[in-house]
Amino acid sequence: MSTSESRFNLYHYAAPQAFYPVAGKLAPAFAVIALLLTAIGLWISFFKAPTDAVQGEVYRIIFIHVPAAWMSMFVFLVMAFWSAIGLAMNTRLSALMAQALAPTGAMFCFVALWTGALWGRPTWGAYWVWDARLTSQLLLLFLYLGYMALVAAIDDPRRRDKAGAILCLVGAVNVPIIYFSVKWWNTLHQGASVSLTKAPSMATIMLSGMLVMALAAWAYTIAVALYRVRVLILERERHADWVRGELARLGEAN
Amino acid sequence: MSAFSAILRRDMLLAWRSRADLLISLAFFVIVGCLFPFGVGAEPNQLRAIGPGVLWVAALLSCLLSLHRLFAQDHQDGTLEQMLLSPDPTVLWILAKVLAHWLTTAVPLLLITPLMALLFDLEGGAIQVLTASLAIGTPILSLIGAVGAALTLGLRGGGALLALLILPLFVPVLIFGAGSVDAYLAGTGASAHMLLLGGGVLGALALSPIACAAALRISTE
Amino acid sequence: MKSRHKRMTLILGGLLLLVGATALVLSAFRENLVFFHTPSEVAEGKAPTGRTFRIGGMVEAGSIKREGVEVRFAVTDTARSIPVVYSGPLPDLFKEGKGAVVQGKLGTDGVFTASEVLAKHDENYMPPEAQHAIDQAQQTAKTLQQ
Repeated sequence: MSTSESRFNLYHYAAPQAFYPVAGKLAPAFAVIALLLTAIGLWISFFKAPTDAVQGEVYRIIFIHVPAAWMSMFVFLVMAFWSAIGLAMNTRLSALMAQALAPTGAMFCFVALWTGALWGRPTWGAYWVWDARLTSQLLLLFLYLGYMALVAAIDDPRRRDKAGAILCLVGAVNVPIIYFSVKWWNTLHQGASVSLTKAPSMATIMLSGMLVMALAAWAYTIAVALYRVRVLILERERHADWVRGELARLGEAN
Repeated sequence: MSAFSAILRRDMLLAWRSRADLLISLAFFVIVGCLFPFGVGAEPNQLRAIGPGVLWVAALLSCLLSLHRLFAQDHQDGTLEQMLLSPDPTVLWILAKVLAHWLTTAVPLLLITPLMALLFDLEGGAIQVLTASLAIGTPILSLIGAVGAALTLGLRGGGALLALLILPLFVPVLIFGAGSVDAYLAGTGASAHMLLLGGGVLGALALSPIACAAALRISTE
Repeated sequence: MKSRHKRMTLILGGLLLLVGATALVLSAFRENLVFFHTPSEVAEGKAPTGRTFRIGGMVEAGSIKREGVEVRFAVTDTARSIPVVYSGPLPDLFKEGKGAVVQGKLGTDGVFTASEVLAKHDENYMPPEAQHAIDQAQQTAKTLQQ
């Protein structure tokens, strides 16, 4: 009994019109959670966590860098998941979710690369080295940009959703291959002085700071994706009556 | 099977009738290869070191150059929609088109690679390995590229968009293709690389026509 | 019916291709996808003769001797060690007891003439293959002692 009910609910919320108000309620909640977690995480990162014995204060960049890198990879996975659902079940909302997530994933990818470069300069003596992780992160950024460029180039909404989904799935199949090849290539061509493989056992307080920041990134991603998907829904359904009503309401509120 | 050979023959014939296009991508390959010594200097040791990688990158770009034409003409004159409606399995004639693309763009490139390799002062064994790696690796480029070509069919800025979409996916092919020559020169033998490239061809052969067929359906809807 | 037949053949063909791809990739891993030989392999005559190749391992402690522009040292995986001669600038991180990869040719006298020396950075970092080789060599040494 209960399973059939929950199935019904899921299908109900798969309709953009039904999901729109839910997203509107959930998004601010996640935004507040993200804000709180970020505050706590930054407090731990900068005031509670001790200075690293080897790297000094520079290491504190990991509190932003590592969660961003994790998130950038995870978001691509989630996009592939939504793309697969969208292609299999022909649900419009799934494709919109994937499109709403892409800019956030690309942003985290860029943040991870950028903070990595800032960390690399004092630690390795170079902003950029062709390390396996950096290189695969860069290629992931290209995949994000390719996805966003393709979606932006297509005017027809149906084609946009499906073409984006196919590209996302092709990319997801290739990500492990790319990662493997780059890692292998890196052991071959690794320059004389660089190694990221050392993973110093981390003090608990540092680890907890990083985990809180990771959760903050998580909440932020959900909040932003929900806000963005609301806009995408309005844009997509702009000829529907309920959207006219909603837009009129929004106009009055301003 | 008759659809396969008919489409293959037709595409080969079309390519032959516009052979100037083929010459252009071949000339592109040669010129890109020749530019590098001007850029990095003509020191023989350095040329030997970068030669395989440069020729692989040039091959990749040359392949990219001809990819956006893969379905464009058929899309314009409506042949593509007819073929999608035909009872013949879509993946089969996609394979025929990709094979035709490979035969008309990659094979000429393979024939001229030994000559280009001489410009980079590569020795006989290395030239053989390089040509073999290109022979095994370029079908992957055509196969993956076909998916990109199908996705970007008829879009504005299609060429540049196609490059952005598929060049990151070409990276593993580039790594193992150019790496095979390095491995040969380093004395560990190139067989592992060749096996990986071969695995890539079979995998791409199995998966990319399916993705390509789906992409073509979406693009012509 | 006929088109259904065709479809089945295609699906079967696709599956066969995937199986073939997996088999090729697996056999590629069985080949040495490493980029250097270990000193033990060289001592057993597995390395190519008269051609350039790479040896990876640790720089043996107390083995570095400088003779003018030439440097002599030994690369070891603790079981065997190969004497190396090299003339040229050494990387800063090249130290005794640390990981190194040398590229060059093996002479008939068993001395390896290096044309390039790469050092590995970290205190405890070692290319996994080298670490593996050392572990194996130590294992054999132990069994021999017993």
